[in-house]
Amino acid sequence: MAGASISIRRRIWQTLSSIKTGVILLIIVVILSAAGTLVLQRPVTEADEMQRAYSPQTLALLDTVGLTDVFHAWWFVTLLILVSLSIIAASIDRFPNAWRYLSRPYKSTDKPFRRALPTQTQILIPDEETGLVAAERSLHSMGFKPERVVGTDRLSIFAERNRISEMAVYIVHASLLLIFLGGIIDALWGWRGYVSLSQGQQTSIVGLRDGKKEEMSFAIRCDGAGQENYKDGSPKKWWSQLTVVKDGQDIQKKEIVVNDPLVYGGVRVYQASYGPTGKLDKLSFTASGRDGAKKQISLRVDQTAALDADTDVKLAEFIPDYVVRDNQVYTRSNDVENPAAHLVVTSKKSGKQINFWLPPIEGFAENEQSPYQFTVDDLKMGYFTGLEISHEPGQWGVWAGVLLMCVGLGFVFYVAHTRFWVVPIRDEKGQLVLWVGGTVNRNRDAFEQRFQTLTEKIKSEMKTVVKLPASSGAQVASLA
Amino acid sequence: MSRARAEQQTPTTGNTLIVMVGLGVTFLLFMAFLNVVKTGHLLNESNLLYAALIFYAGAGALYLGFGVTGTDSYVKFASVATWAGLAANTGAVIHRWYEAGHPPFASIYEMLLSFVWTLAVLTLVAEKKYGVKVIGTVTMPVAIVGVVLMQLLRTDVHPLVPALQSTWLHVHVTLAMLAYAACALSFALAMMFLIQDKVKTETFLAATSLFTVGVYIGILTRFEKWGGLSLIAWNAQEKAEVFLQRGVRLFVVVPDLGWLMLLVTLVVAAPFALYLVGRVKQDESFYTIANRAVFVSILLQVLALAVFLLRASSGQYPSLDAEGLHATSLAASPFILSGLVGGIFTSLLYLLLLWRRTDLERLLPTADNLDRITYKTICIAFPLLTLMIAAGAYWANRTWGSYWSWDPKETWAAITWLVYAGYLHMRITRGWRGRRAAYFAILGFAVVMFTFFGVTYLLPGMHAYA
Repeated sequence: MAGASISIRRRIWQTLSSIKTGVILLIIVVILSAAGTLVLQRPVTEADEMQRAYSPQTLALLDTVGLTDVFHAWWFVTLLILVSLSIIAASIDRFPNAWRYLSRPYKSTDKPFRRALPTQTQILIPDEETGLVAAERSLHSMGFKPERVVGTDRLSIFAERNRISEMAVYIVHASLLLIFLGGIIDALWGWRGYVSLSQGQQTSIVGLRDGKKEEMSFAIRCDGAGQENYKDGSPKKWWSQLTVVKDGQDIQKKEIVVNDPLVYGGVRVYQASYGPTGKLDKLSFTASGRDGAKKQISLRVDQTAALDADTDVKLAEFIPDYVVRDNQVYTRSNDVENPAAHLVVTSKKSGKQINFWLPPIEGFAENEQSPYQFTVDDLKMGYFTGLEISHEPGQWGVWAGVLLMCVGLGFVFYVAHTRFWVVPIRDEKGQLVLWVGGTVNRNRDAFEQRFQTLTEKIKSEMKTVVKLPASSGAQVASLA
Repeated sequence: MSRARAEQQTPTTGNTLIVMVGLGVTFLLFMAFLNVVKTGHLLNESNLLYAALIFYAGAGALYLGFGVTGTDSYVKFASVATWAGLAANTGAVIHRWYEAGHPPFASIYEMLLSFVWTLAVLTLVAEKKYGVKVIGTVTMPVAIVGVVLMQLLRTDVHPLVPALQSTWLHVHVTLAMLAYAACALSFALAMMFLIQDKVKTETFLAATSLFTVGVYIGILTRFEKWGGLSLIAWNAQEKAEVFLQRGVRLFVVVPDLGWLMLLVTLVVAAPFALYLVGRVKQDESFYTIANRAVFVSILLQVLALAVFLLRASSGQYPSLDAEGLHATSLAASPFILSGLVGGIFTSLLYLLLLWRRTDLERLLPTADNLDRITYKTICIAFPLLTLMIAAGAYWANRTWGSYWSWDPKETWAAITWLVYAGYLHMRITRGWRGRRAAYFAILGFAVVMFTFFGVTYLLPGMHAYA
């Protein structure tokens, strides 16, 4: 090719489809991915944790270079796209050959081929037909379908199995591309977020990882949620009773647990967590009047109930962990450590309001003035259920790709394209021999065994085969 | 090409050792039996494990006996002992499965139980199917260490937290164990190939020394703090690590252990340094000194291990993050323990090679066969790795709504997959055989080890799960 210049396009194609390119690209992917595991990554690690781990200069440097969010950086995505292109190019480049190999089998051998083939043997035969029939029977017994091939000057036999095995590597690479495609679709059109609902609450807006919000075409309502514990107190099960609400209608109900999500409209709702909101759900207490009458009341915060025609009681405040400081009642924490309830008893006639505190806090409680005394029966704290919601349209590509890869790998490792040729020839001494040769594209040692077996079988068949007329038993021949 | 000093010993008939091991095993079993008859429960899990330990110890002694004296009949009886140990181990696994109601994968205790069982199975598979009889010298001591480690750990049946209650977890973990076991086997076979391929003993010296130095440097960079060694605090009642807050462990500083580790690192690096000097000066007497240095380094490593065991299993130490003194435990430092034991073990294996190379070369299959068998093992490991990653992704998707989140564990699993894919490519398309293929297989296993241990213990971040 001296003097002929290779066009730029050809050059690019050759580089892209070369194995060397692929290997280099993959090595770069590995190095960058490893870097992404050694450096703390931003969306997953919280900001103050990042600041604790690195000095300000280091952190600024890492952020600028992009090492704090490697896997979503444009250059990483570009790299993955280049890897995909390299796989596609390499496959396209080699596929025509493989296809030719697949669609036009080499059924009739010539002398140089027979001389060069590594696995071969020669068996003495009395006449052509005996040899061919013996070979056919042996091949049949080994599960092959031999066919007679009519050559220019002779009849020969060709048998093969698992020709599809030549395509195996393309199946594997195609499956890899399918997985990538699924991932790209999800990266572009998928989303994931988190929602926390209290009982009775519903929402159609999901808070996404990066702070954005996604509006769904339907709403999720929490009808109930709970937690079951093991005897030692560790959580056994979190469950939520969810309803899908669309256009005001309840469309679907499901009780979900961790590992068993609700699926609707391509969106999946997962049970992620469960916990106390730190706010009161309901306070149940008994009101005892001066005349000894008892009444049971349940109130939410800011809810009012009538005690009699004239008197109302309202739950003005509930503090889970109270502390008195500077003449004020403060909340110390959200845990129910030291609860206090503030009830306001109002007389409708006089408008007088009395502050009743449970427990009676000095300086604030006016419990003795109240016409009713209260004791607490039950305290129910509010709980929220934490739901992960995701929309991953590309996942079907990923799972299809995985299945296809399993098929492909099965073919790559365990299905071998085996070919046998049987040709009656005259050897150097002029004797009539049956030349038997074979080849395989993988698992060579198992193949050598089978070749031995074939040779033995032919030899033993020769002893039993009776000389048959030439026209019987011959399959339809194909032109070589 | 003179070898380093090799010991010449007249081969004994070997019956003495066999009889002694047989008597020892019988005696221990008998004592255990008497003890058990007193308490009443014969076939419970800990008794079966103890029986397994006794049998594995017998097998290990015989394998190592072969290693020292070169007598072939040891290997045969060692096999028998391994079978017996496997039977007892299987009983323990079944018992545990039955008691817990789920396959033994939920806690580190259960993982060790499964791992030790797999080791025994692998040993026998390697012997029967591949004809590699010597693998017991490696697997049995590891199994013994595993069973001993199990005694330190919390054994009560741990109920599974919600995220772990999925069948896909069990599928994923089973596949992971099988895949890693196959990779470990391919590593061992690749090493054996290098022995049969007449790689010089000095090269093994350099590699062993370099590997051990790497392990100790890993321990030092992660755990050393101003002369002391940082260990995770341990609550002895609950048999659990102590946390400062969610995901943040409490560390205590054991004084002077850091200096000891530093010393060990230097001494372990000495053989490699001597090897380099010998190469540069083309003087083989340095190799002889290097071999003596290996021997000295083993003694020092054993000393370090003993001191570590003593200090870490008892005593209260101050912490930099919290007031007061806190206890630590051996169970809190599986990485350091594995590093120390691994270092000693690797050095011992090198000595085995040094003293018994000709015997090993006689007993091992040919280089060609080993090359082929390594390839076949990776042909099994690779689909398993693929399935493991797929099952893990499916489990993550069902539990957390995302099949791939570039988690360090996931990312390194993908890197491992790529490395083994690289091996297959090089072999199939480039025709790589022999030494290059063996080195690639060894690299693959190094990456597997990093994925399994390094991600959990060496990488920053909160993803500390096995």
